[in-house]
Amino acid sequence: MIAWKIKPLTLAALMTAILLTAVSLYAVEDLPAFGDENSAVNKHIELFRVDADGLVDGLNAGVIPAEIKNKTEKMGFIKGPTCPGCQNENYPTLEEGNYKIEYIEKGTRLGGRLYTAGGWDVLINEGEIFYNEPQRYYFIEEREGKLIVYRYNWPVRVVEKTEEETAMINSVTSGLADYRGYDTMGEETVILTGALGVILLVRRRGRL
Amino acid sequence: MTPEIKAYKRNIIIEVTTNLMFPLTLLFGLYIMIGTSGTGGGFQGGTILAAAFILYITVFGHEKGREKMPESVNALFKSLGLFLYNGAGWICVLFSLAGAQWLNMPAFWPVADFVGVAGARSFLVGYMVSVGIGLTVMAAFVSQYFDLAWKEEEEMESGER
Repeated sequence: MIAWKIKPLTLAALMTAILLTAVSLYAVEDLPAFGDENSAVNKHIELFRVDADGLVDGLNAGVIPAEIKNKTEKMGFIKGPTCPGCQNENYPTLEEGNYKIEYIEKGTRLGGRLYTAGGWDVLINEGEIFYNEPQRYYFIEEREGKLIVYRYNWPVRVVEKTEEETAMINSVTSGLADYRGYDTMGEETVILTGALGVILLVRRRGRL
Repeated sequence: MTPEIKAYKRNIIIEVTTNLMFPLTLLFGLYIMIGTSGTGGGFQGGTILAAAFILYITVFGHEKGREKMPESVNALFKSLGLFLYNGAGWICVLFSLAGAQWLNMPAFWPVADFVGVAGARSFLVGYMVSVGIGLTVMAAFVSQYFDLAWKEEEEMESGER
């Protein structure tokens, strides 16, 4: 018969290892699904509302009405250099040919997003310099005689919503440790594993 | 004939400068590590803290450096950092009775009731997540530096170099 003798320290170390493994497994199981419609990336933010009279026909024909275009440009999403002499063009503008419009029915599940309301998706066309594939850009919804214009785009969302959601002045930290917390936990684990690897390879016994 | 091992030579200017710089560097590292809402974060702060210890070990030798950072404290910090990060996620699950997801900060209601939902995220990220990252990074760098210093010394003793 084998007598089981476990030292208290060994038992404590074993329990700690099991607990850490359980926490990691739980974290992996609990990870939000890719393309979760409630995750921050897939949310859109409201820009403004305009009266809907006469504008719906234009949207159905695939053209953004001038009223909406002017208002987005007034909000700062403009083409062209942001300072004299620069060549930067940050925002693809709503010139014709830059975008295409698709009507999405309510309840559609498309690209990981559940459309809880029907509306027009404004997509960036393929030829744009900074975006190689069609991307969601604006979302226009009709409700109670008004057109509500939303904007997708992750950087814009981070800049505008981070203080309200995380109460942090620094949007970089909120991205690193809050929105992408699972990623950072993995990075930290990598550093710990690297240190343990160096200890196993380099350290000699009796040198503690 | 074994080559004469050149012992570590004292230099008063370097030693005094290091003695002055060491606490200031630690303070600066803490400022970077905890001041998450302003500058820096865990990784950067941990690296600066490690740099302070590495400077000290380089100047005073690893035996005196051991007194500043004992092996037991180093090993404790190394795992405590990861446990702090995991604990920040775990505490949210515990306090919501597994109703909230892991790392869902506002579910930590003792803090969220006090400073608000958004403030709870800021508090946990600033004081648990960042400090956890910083401790692990610092301890990992310092322990690697110690290991390499030992290896060098052992090779010098056995005459391989």
